[in-house]
Amino acid sequence: MFRSSLVGLALLFSSAVSAQTSGIPPEELNNTRRLAGDTINVCFDRTSLGRPFDEDVARAVADALFLQINVVEGFGGFPLNGDGFLDELNLAMTNTCDMFMGVAVSSNSPFSDAFALTRPYATIPFVIAVADPTWQRLGDIPKDRRLGTAMASLGELSFITWSQQQPEAERWVRYPYADYNKMATRVLDNTIAAMVLWQPVLARLKAERPDAAALRVISNDPVPAASVSVGALVSSRNAFLRSQVDQAIDALAADGTIDTLLEKHGYQGAAGE
Amino acid sequence: MRTGLLKTLLVASTAFVALSGVAHAQGIRENYAPVTPEMLANPPAEEWLMFRGAYNNQGFSPLDMINKDTVGGLQLAWAWPMAEAGIQETAPLVHDGVMFLQTNNNIVEALDAKTGDLIWQYRHVLPELPASWSYQANQARRQKNSIALYEDKVILTTVDAKIVVLNAADGKVAWEKQVVDSNLGYSYTVGPLIADGKIISAISGCSIAGTAGGCFIFAHDVNTGDELWRFNTIDDPNNPAQEASWGGVPVENRWGGTPWTTGSYDPETNTTFWGIGMPGPYSELIRGSGDGTVLYTNSTLALDVGTGKLKWYYQHLPRDNWDLDSPFERILVDQEVDGQMHKMLVSVPGKNGIAFGLDRDTGKYLWSKETIVQNVVTGIDPDGTVHIDEGLISKAVGEEHLVCASVSGGKLWQAGAYSPQTNAYFVPLTEACNTVSPTQSEFTAGNAVGSVKFGPRVLPEGITDAGLMQALDINPTQAESKWQFRSRPSMTSSVLATGGGLVFGGDAARQITAWDQETGDVVWSQRLNAPIGGYPMTYAIDGEQYLVVPTGYSNAASSISSAFPEIPLPTGSGNSIFVYKLPKASN
Repeated sequence: MFRSSLVGLALLFSSAVSAQTSGIPPEELNNTRRLAGDTINVCFDRTSLGRPFDEDVARAVADALFLQINVVEGFGGFPLNGDGFLDELNLAMTNTCDMFMGVAVSSNSPFSDAFALTRPYATIPFVIAVADPTWQRLGDIPKDRRLGTAMASLGELSFITWSQQQPEAERWVRYPYADYNKMATRVLDNTIAAMVLWQPVLARLKAERPDAAALRVISNDPVPAASVSVGALVSSRNAFLRSQVDQAIDALAADGTIDTLLEKHGYQGAAGE
Repeated sequence: MRTGLLKTLLVASTAFVALSGVAHAQGIRENYAPVTPEMLANPPAEEWLMFRGAYNNQGFSPLDMINKDTVGGLQLAWAWPMAEAGIQETAPLVHDGVMFLQTNNNIVEALDAKTGDLIWQYRHVLPELPASWSYQANQARRQKNSIALYEDKVILTTVDAKIVVLNAADGKVAWEKQVVDSNLGYSYTVGPLIADGKIISAISGCSIAGTAGGCFIFAHDVNTGDELWRFNTIDDPNNPAQEASWGGVPVENRWGGTPWTTGSYDPETNTTFWGIGMPGPYSELIRGSGDGTVLYTNSTLALDVGTGKLKWYYQHLPRDNWDLDSPFERILVDQEVDGQMHKMLVSVPGKNGIAFGLDRDTGKYLWSKETIVQNVVTGIDPDGTVHIDEGLISKAVGEEHLVCASVSGGKLWQAGAYSPQTNAYFVPLTEACNTVSPTQSEFTAGNAVGSVKFGPRVLPEGITDAGLMQALDINPTQAESKWQFRSRPSMTSSVLATGGGLVFGGDAARQITAWDQETGDVVWSQRLNAPIGGYPMTYAIDGEQYLVVPTGYSNAASSISSAFPEIPLPTGSGNSIFVYKLPKASN
């Protein structure tokens, strides 16, 4: 029965993926129950932009639940279309992970019903960064300048949606960027006027690149603000764990622990939703 | 994920320990006869020397011992389990009595083609598989669809973007070459073509962030591995029309254009023909290309093998917004009509299943023919200009359209075959649609994947059979339906046409079938252990003709199995090859 449901799961995932994806042969999926005592395996997308913050939150959640955590360096490096991501997530959640940190919690969630999202532990905004000192808001930037957006992000969604509502002459031309370092370089060399990116990415840029000190955040106006709620994924079969994690997140949000972690990492935003 | 990666690493390290760090060879094939350039140009009828049998990619064997009269007597000669679980896309080759099989994770096996005995096995050892290479790990689970033979060597391309050259006799590595940086995301998913003393190969992974602006077809010296030229499928400074087609999007913001089916080759003109895949991101709303046609995505490219220069291109689907890739097999066909020789390129290049005929010397459009249900292409002008339904292009994020064929075909990697006996092109197809909507559904917060959402594959309205074997009557002026064979299960294997008047192919219901090329009548069928996969082929040894049928895990089956729930799929992969031959008396 369990084997059948695993196969069903694989079929479910393979129904909406593109052509070069492998799918998951059933042999790859473990038919075992993990016996980990008081330790939970916590996995991360290695390329996740908020990876260090997510690990700190995972440790705080585990402490609150009197659990040990085993940090599992997860996967990463997927195509922009997400080809293969759900395959690998399926494999990870079946074989290895009790909890997968750092996922976007939204009504548009792409995850299967086989997984359950916890409540968000933080909500963090997208920002607009420029190098030109004369601009205070997005609306100050001439329409003939090009902009960059973090491809496939909720910030880009907000920008495109606003843009499609404007007459063509009132729109900025934007280019999608998948590499935030390259996008920052193009702002700094004035190829593009501004970039829309997740604030933790800007924090990372400022920490990693001395020349990023010239980047500063301006007001989104007239584009509506966008933010991402960040949570974790657990197996739908493990309702008990989800309930415990949700309670821990509530407590950590209420007692200021998560706000402290946001501040530690230089992130804007707020604990919880 | 980690366990999967760890498993790969364990396999690799186990092989390393067990074989003491030397080549992973268990035996030697003494006196192996080299594959000469002359053989590649004119393959012996009894052998199968490359991906689709010959440079023309026809998937045709002139062998005729197995024919309409004898096929009923086929008996199992031997079978062989593949080395690893994975999606079954293997294209076995046979030369000098040796069968060369590539399986997933870039394992190559040499088998005695008469007895099925293992001669040697090569396991490609990845030095380390970083967690950030998950796409490569995912791709490694596909049986890469071809390897190549040249002189006394076996040439393969790997998931870590290497060309690896093995000694055909013992499987030892002769040399290897890191072609591009796999840390950027590049990965080989199809095998090479050997032509004019060069290894012609094409890279995948061109939709990964790090590979922005470059997707390539390469030529390397077959003896030294030196790179001779590369052609970028999404950036051609020599063609202003190509640059303009991206609507001002800079090269560093372009993705896609992956050539993920091994190309064909015309020795007479020293030209290689490759099909190119979709643009990235899928939706023009997100990629920023406006109404640009985004060349050379979804095109056929004709490249001069000597120089790498583009001779011509033809775009089968401009302005793709639905991942309707067009990289599939390009078949070279010569037909003499009224004393005039016509040199054509025929193909069902894309997932939408439309067949095209082109003049292969000029790229001039000759004809097209729809096969399965599709709703994107609204018409094709006599000059070959393709028109699309712009109403299916989403104008807002989240705007959803029902698009036929689906993202997994229609047509997919499963190659059709052309028979010069009947002037017919046999194409395995699946009737399927799905919804498509551009979306920004982040997986991990703030991360850049997941720009289009596809609904599940469903049958088009009014159609109850997923599978379609379409025989097309081909000539220089048109293609007409010769016959159709429809079936509830989807087609899952490539197709083989033979001089015995037969065409072989298989489906998700584990059925390998032989059809009469002329009539479409089923003349033989057997049910095996798993969906039929890969590339069925045939060869002869000591006057006996063999038929090879790959079976195993099939994404083409599982992704539409809900359309035929009465045919349950096996829960194991069962990746294998089954080798049939006729009893002595029949030969």
